[in-house]
Amino acid sequence: MRFAVAHKTATYLMVGFAYLAMTTGGGVSPGIALGGLVLLLASWWWEPPRINYDKWSWVWTAASVFALAYCVLTAIVTGDFLGVGAQFLTWLIVAKGFNRKAARDWQQMYLLAFLMLVAGSVLNPELTYGLCFLGFVVSSTWAMTLFHLRREMEDNLLVKHAADRASERVEVRRILDSRRIVGGRFFFGTGLLSFGVFLAAAALFLALPRVGIGFFLKSRSGLTLAGFSDGVKLGGHGVIKNDSTVVMRVQIDPKFGGRSAPQIHWRGVAFDRYSKGNWTRSQRAPETKQRLEQGQVRDRRSLNYDRPAISIPEIDTLATTLVRQDIWLDPLDSDVLFGASLPRIVEYPHVVRRRGTTNERNDEIRLPHGSTIHYSVWSELVPPPPEQLRAASGPLPRGYEVYLQLDEPGKPPEITARTRAKALEITRGLTNNYDKAVAIQTWLTTNLTYTLVLEDPGIQEPVDYFLFDRKKGHCEYFASGFAILARAAGIPVRQVNGFLGGEWNEYQGYVAVRAGDAHSWDEVYFPGVGWVTFDPTPSATVDVLGRGGDGWRARLSRMMDTLRFQWTKWVIEYDLASQLELFKTVGGAIKSAALTVKAAVVSAKDAVLAYWPIGAGLGVGLIGFLVLRRRRSGPGMETGRARRTRVRSTVAEVFDQVAAALAKAGVARDAALTPRELATRMAQRGDPGAPQVGELVELYYVAEWGGRRDPAAEVRAQILAAEIRQALDAARRARRTSGATA
Amino acid sequence: MGIWARLRRRLRPPRRLSFTREGRLIVVLSVGVGFAAINTGNNLLYLLLGWLLSFIIASGILSELTLKRLTVQRRPPPRVFAGDPFLMEVVIQNGKENRASFSIEVEDLVGTTPIDKRCYFLKIPAAKSQRTSYRHTFARRGHYTLTGYRLATKFPFALFRKSRDVDAPLEIIVYPSRVAVPRPIPRTTSRGESTADRLGRRGEFHGLRERRAGDDRRDIHWRSSARTGRLLVREYEDELARRVVIGVDNALPEDVRDAVTDGALTPAAETQVSAVERAISVAASLAASYLEIGWTVELCARGLHVAPGVGRIHEAKIARALALLPYVSDEVAFAALPPKIESVLITPRSVAASGRPAATTVMDV
Repeated sequence: MRFAVAHKTATYLMVGFAYLAMTTGGGVSPGIALGGLVLLLASWWWEPPRINYDKWSWVWTAASVFALAYCVLTAIVTGDFLGVGAQFLTWLIVAKGFNRKAARDWQQMYLLAFLMLVAGSVLNPELTYGLCFLGFVVSSTWAMTLFHLRREMEDNLLVKHAADRASERVEVRRILDSRRIVGGRFFFGTGLLSFGVFLAAAALFLALPRVGIGFFLKSRSGLTLAGFSDGVKLGGHGVIKNDSTVVMRVQIDPKFGGRSAPQIHWRGVAFDRYSKGNWTRSQRAPETKQRLEQGQVRDRRSLNYDRPAISIPEIDTLATTLVRQDIWLDPLDSDVLFGASLPRIVEYPHVVRRRGTTNERNDEIRLPHGSTIHYSVWSELVPPPPEQLRAASGPLPRGYEVYLQLDEPGKPPEITARTRAKALEITRGLTNNYDKAVAIQTWLTTNLTYTLVLEDPGIQEPVDYFLFDRKKGHCEYFASGFAILARAAGIPVRQVNGFLGGEWNEYQGYVAVRAGDAHSWDEVYFPGVGWVTFDPTPSATVDVLGRGGDGWRARLSRMMDTLRFQWTKWVIEYDLASQLELFKTVGGAIKSAALTVKAAVVSAKDAVLAYWPIGAGLGVGLIGFLVLRRRRSGPGMETGRARRTRVRSTVAEVFDQVAAALAKAGVARDAALTPRELATRMAQRGDPGAPQVGELVELYYVAEWGGRRDPAAEVRAQILAAEIRQALDAARRARRTSGATA
Repeated sequence: MGIWARLRRRLRPPRRLSFTREGRLIVVLSVGVGFAAINTGNNLLYLLLGWLLSFIIASGILSELTLKRLTVQRRPPPRVFAGDPFLMEVVIQNGKENRASFSIEVEDLVGTTPIDKRCYFLKIPAAKSQRTSYRHTFARRGHYTLTGYRLATKFPFALFRKSRDVDAPLEIIVYPSRVAVPRPIPRTTSRGESTADRLGRRGEFHGLRERRAGDDRRDIHWRSSARTGRLLVREYEDELARRVVIGVDNALPEDVRDAVTDGALTPAAETQVSAVERAISVAASLAASYLEIGWTVELCARGLHVAPGVGRIHEAKIARALALLPYVSDEVAFAALPPKIESVLITPRSVAASGRPAATTVMDV
């Protein structure tokens, strides 16, 4: 490849990767991103002799001024300085691509590429950033190396000297067009180097101490997805879309994982107040009772629910009996933390100061986070046995009466009479809350059907419309229907939003929860026992984690998600706790290796002591070998490398063939005779081919000892060898002829 | 090499590093990104910081590999004259069998200071050598020592310039500058090519040599010339008839010599030094001129005597002696110029000195 083309290609690759790293995260609007990419590609051909840069410079200057003014105004108006900054970077790189006049412009392209990478670190936390980063590392190594060579040859020192005339600069264009400077080996070698750079960058990334407290500062707005929301509003119409974006990944005890494991309710927000089809969190709802332990690295919260607080040792003991989940949660509109129902302990990275105020009620756990967060939850997955629930009795704890609310106090009743009557009808004859709740759940699942297609209830009360007219709905309708019917039957209940199930990823052993897995269900309170999950929505066709199928597309999709998960786990959410854990693992491995070595040394020592004469002999032999080897390779001695067989030149090989032919013809060379002396002797005796031998010997000396390879001499040597053979053959024939005559 | 010199050599760092503008920029960027990473806790900024740092480390390793197993030979021309530009050939050999070296700079060192010229090699293929040269001029005659050379590279990313000094002393004798000077008219022998009254021409037969301009036609050895096809002449040991003694006065007053030593020349002192240098240059040029036409030349100066001789080797001997001729006091005796022999005394015009010998010709330059 021509040097100039190689440099340009590497530079465009580097800029391209940085550009994609910045734009693929969605921080730049797709139109601008695509337009910028097209213009950047077009700038490849925008160069002399096709284009005169000076002629167009005023256009670019004017356009740049306009772009700057536009971006400043836009940033002030929208307040999105980062996004607008990325747009301005897009403009700058395009403008620079169209104005590659001198080395300075190339340098500015590199700087802009780096700034785009920095911007991308905020705008694009996805796996695409990592892939682009890898491409950037490789291409930047090529580009920077080639740029350095180019600038050296353009700026400095390529001067041709001659003794008889003034020194003159070598024409740079000729070198830029040369194909001999960089080739496949160069790209392969620097590619390997860049791979090493990447590995070193990764190692440094893992080793650099995470001492920052900026967890709070990396703020991005949460994803607005179809699915989970921090609130319930019944009465909408249309079709609910099933969003397949993964929002949460959970590593869970293998007993509860696997493709045949049952689905898990990932509890998020809970509501106590129902009014006009809306579920909300009332100010009267009980605050989440919890105990907070703050550590240097991680904070831990234990939820008490309706029970009294327990001591730290009891929490530690409790943790051993619960099911642990490690959760990586992407930012959503809500700051709630999810956990398998019912979560008891939550542990997350240490928070020095909490951003904003949280309103934790109804046993929700909230932690503001602007990016993906990694935390652990310990949950009670197995509900209490029905007998225990049937036997549960007692007064409601203080404040729990909100979970029996139906109508707004002081306002006309919202819940229709036929709804209340239906509740009584369903629970008639049942004596305990558990049986009543089960009956309501059974009635809902058997008499109503699931649909994602919603109809507008108009002015009709939404639950009433769902229960008696529409008789179809999605999970929020079922959960609301259950809650209203249960409350009408006197059962304390609250509605919960979260996710249900997920897809088991067999490659990495985790559950991928998608936005489309958002779900609503209910929690029923049993005095003395606690909250128990009831899901009145009819089961879907798949009620295990083995969703997605086993086809190659599903497998590929899961494999890609594995990569994303690893990216999130080891890059995006790599924190001090992960670092300490990693160091601990590495330290343990080193310690283990050291112990192994120590054990080996000790056993070797024991063996030496047991067989000391043999050991001493081997030791002396080894030392002797080392000393001998060192002396051999010492100064003044030939090294192993230098002793290698020297490659003979082509002329020397021809000479060897001729010498063999001469020896066969009776003109052998003694060991003490130099080739030149042999030639002289042959000339003196008038041997056949003597002049050619003389010339060949001189060529031999030049080629073999002169240090230069001369193709003309090689050709000449071949000709001389042929002539010598002819002369020897002629002499042989002459001798035969004379012998025959005699 | 003295103990101190050896100690200094041992203590000298094996490599020198100096940051380039790009290197400083990378360091600033690293600090900025590091600060941003710590402040925001954004792991991607940590990743960028890791890349920047490993980029710098890789640059250091690669530049080290680039400088490894490179050897340099400097080949000055056989003769270097003061004031005349010359080409110093620089040959660099890459001893690495599988790896090319890129972007190498070679500088000759005087002490630890590089001379003003630098050679650049874009690429030295594996196990190959490359050559280039640089043009340099020594203003004054004398003995110069290039103590070694400096190998430097900014490869691969021009973040910093790494260099390695190699001790490889190279002695260079700079001969006096050459000037065009006519030979004085001989005063002791006949003139031109006339051979009728030339005396003392026959001494012991010495041998045959090729004829040069000015040789006596009678000395041509016709038989050998016919056999070889070239004109050969006989040489005799007695060449008095074509022998000249060149004297040059290298005396300078003490204050001027001190000023030269201290490097604090006044304009007046500079004038005198230039005059002596001019005289030495004339002497060297004249000697070369005589030797060119086959004369026997002897050189005398204060504290210096070069025995008579002929040929190019003798010319080099005289040039070398004049190159190293020191300034002395006029108390240093001048070797007596032999009588009956053509002699030329060259005296610096603006320098007064006593003890100058008599000569058949005196050139005041």
